[in-house]
Amino acid sequence: MSKYILAKKTSVHDFSTFYSFLIGLAISITVGSLILLLQDQNPIEVFSLMLKLSVGSMNSLSASLNKAIPLILAGLGIAIINTVKLWNIGAEGQIFLGAIIVNLVYINTDLRSSSLYILLLLIAGFIGGSICILMPAITKVFFGVNEIITTLLTNYIIIGLTVYLINGPWRDPDSLSFPVAAYVGEEVFLPKILGRLSIGFIICILCTFAAHYLIDKSVFGYEMRIAGGSQMTAIYAGINAKQKTFIAMLIGGGFAGLAGAVELLGQTHRVSTGISQGFGYTAIIVAAITGMRPIGIFLVGTLFGALTIGGSVIQTIGVSSYIADIIQATTLFGALIALFFFTYEIKEVQDG
Amino acid sequence: MNQIILETKEISKSFGKVQALNNVNFFLHKGKIHGLLGENGAGKTSLMNILSGIYQPEKGSIYINGHKQDQLTPDSSLNLGIGMVHQEFRLIESFSIKDNLTLSKSNIYKEDFDEAYNKYSEIFSLSADAHSSISELSVGEKQKIEIMKLIFNNASIMLLDEPTAVLTPQETEQLKRSLDKLSQEDKKTIVFITHKLKEIKQFTESIFVMKNGEMVAKGLETKSVEDKELVNLMMGNVNSTKVNKNNPKGEIKLKVENLLQKNTENNLNTLEDISLDIKSGEILGIAGVSGNGQVELANIISGVEQNFKGKILINDIDISKKGVKARKKLNLSYIPENRLGVGLAPGVSVLDNSAIKEYFDASYGIHLSKNKLLENLELLIKEFSIKAPDPHAEISTLSGGNMQKLLMGRELISSPEIIIASQPTRGLDVRAVEAIHNLIIYQRDSGTAIMLFSEDLDELFKLSDRLIVLYEGKIIKEFEIEKANIHNVGLAMAGINE
Repeated sequence: MSKYILAKKTSVHDFSTFYSFLIGLAISITVGSLILLLQDQNPIEVFSLMLKLSVGSMNSLSASLNKAIPLILAGLGIAIINTVKLWNIGAEGQIFLGAIIVNLVYINTDLRSSSLYILLLLIAGFIGGSICILMPAITKVFFGVNEIITTLLTNYIIIGLTVYLINGPWRDPDSLSFPVAAYVGEEVFLPKILGRLSIGFIICILCTFAAHYLIDKSVFGYEMRIAGGSQMTAIYAGINAKQKTFIAMLIGGGFAGLAGAVELLGQTHRVSTGISQGFGYTAIIVAAITGMRPIGIFLVGTLFGALTIGGSVIQTIGVSSYIADIIQATTLFGALIALFFFTYEIKEVQDG
Repeated sequence: MNQIILETKEISKSFGKVQALNNVNFFLHKGKIHGLLGENGAGKTSLMNILSGIYQPEKGSIYINGHKQDQLTPDSSLNLGIGMVHQEFRLIESFSIKDNLTLSKSNIYKEDFDEAYNKYSEIFSLSADAHSSISELSVGEKQKIEIMKLIFNNASIMLLDEPTAVLTPQETEQLKRSLDKLSQEDKKTIVFITHKLKEIKQFTESIFVMKNGEMVAKGLETKSVEDKELVNLMMGNVNSTKVNKNNPKGEIKLKVENLLQKNTENNLNTLEDISLDIKSGEILGIAGVSGNGQVELANIISGVEQNFKGKILINDIDISKKGVKARKKLNLSYIPENRLGVGLAPGVSVLDNSAIKEYFDASYGIHLSKNKLLENLELLIKEFSIKAPDPHAEISTLSGGNMQKLLMGRELISSPEIIIASQPTRGLDVRAVEAIHNLIIYQRDSGTAIMLFSEDLDELFKLSDRLIVLYEGKIIKEFEIEKANIHNVGLAMAGINE
């Protein structure tokens, strides 16, 4: 008697993640088209309009890239933490706390004339993200508490904190309508490099390479991978698994915090509930689609930034912006399913 | 009294290429306690799993009260009154004792639960309240509930798979009294599985012995059987191929003095008064039934486990307080018993796993040279003829033999001065075993001091120069290999020091 089992392939193609992404994208465009057809819209027209309005001009291109920055930075943070096989669902909160700490430092310091002041604020944002994941990191390392739950719950605490700050101590008295904090001064706005594109994009490129180096080429990355594979193997190898896990979580949180800093200084210029529009969650999709590879995160993050912009502008012709969300989500589904068939094969085995 | 309640005839079962049971005949007398003795992997658990309907035999028949049973399923087996306590408990941790005991549809004490619970709590000396949840109980108490569950499910034949493995000596004594009562007062038929000689003689009235899937002795009367006879039956003949033992030995490389380790949970000694030394070019074999302190000893010497008292010296340097990396730098290699999970990290690539011993040698500051790692892996693959086509594939895609060769190769390629090898050939096919043995001999001949832990006596006799037997964490006996034979080593493994 024989039966069939799923077995890992002994050799996986180098580009399997990339191919999976393409398959996922094809599936999502098909699904998106079907939905548009059901709404009596012409998919080709809608998609070409999306393309035109997201990358068709310098203005729209720079808007798309600006949207990509937080997705990429937070995605990199998620990938770093996933090197020790942990899931950071708290990037959203880390983005907010990054921005909050930047504003806190900005309000309480008087170094505005210094040219390095922006750099200091960016570091403050990074630290803010690290602080945000500190509690999940401590409970994970010392008590084994599931990080998925703690990082997720931290989001709600931080968003609550944000609402409190902009309604209470930081409320801008000049804003009569909805509560927001006061603007930061123009001297700390991130400089523009191309159209509306801020220097945040350069930071993003640097961070992509840094994350790639850290995960793939450094001793620390190696130790993280072993610690993530098996705690016992780490002990056997003389690697301090708890320490590596702790540091990985703080760095990963820091990347998302930096996204908050860049968003505050480059885009919104003031703390509000609009600092992040779900970037921390979309970043999980971005990181997962790419199999946690930094270069991939950069590319897919850029595409998703454009999709978000494209999605918001097609509302003008009466199509819901949710079409962009649907495309993002079905790309993930399609890519994960495709990747499954790239990594596994169905094998016939003898019974027993 | 002598009524046969259950009988099997010519039962066979195989898993893939492994013949787990080969024409096994077995019978149980009503109301008696039967012992089933055998080494790990002799087929004891497989036979019990067939009786409880979990596995289907390929051949043979089962009779219960003289009636032939066509096909036993877990359900029908339970209805026929056969119940089994597995080595891993099958209780629902978050449920109460009462819920666990009354869960099954064959439960017979639905109405008068309290009465029954009080009665059996007394027999088992269990003081826990029926409403407390399983997770609050100690391991010993959980086991009592497992056995009680069989009674509540109206099992008249109780199969207990290594019930004493998790118990302290006091709890073992207590279990014996409870089982005696069950067999005498309730006329329960009990099968007591163990690989410990001492217990089988304490607990049982008649003994069955299994070896390599065959029933080699049936219904021996416990009172009149000799220890020696049981050891011979259990171990069988040892394949006596030996390698050349005229290897020159040098100065002492590894010395261990008065090691002591306590289990923090029950305060029992897992290791006690262990002193030994190994010379360069010598293989010291460590024999013993599993769970007698082998894993702990290997972990302590390699530095993985730091909680112990006593001294460890490498080349006369005290390393007791040193960590794993410092010991590696003194040229100590450790091949752990648990291949995937300790020696190799699952979910991580072949390349990463190939570098675990000396990855820091491929580092330049914070940078890790991938090229150097790849070079090292290529060398390993060539030197130890490992089949690993893709360095970036996950480690678990390799076969068991290739995994072990990668692990051994990684630990041996730097010509270590001391090797701690635990069960290096477990689960491997004949050719892979031969290859691993040759590697160990080659290391010995190049002057390495080797400590070899094995449950395979053939292997120990073949490779060792000296042999130490561990029993309950102590060195019970030490042999020069010429003076060791299956009988005296077997008796020592069973805890009998003549």
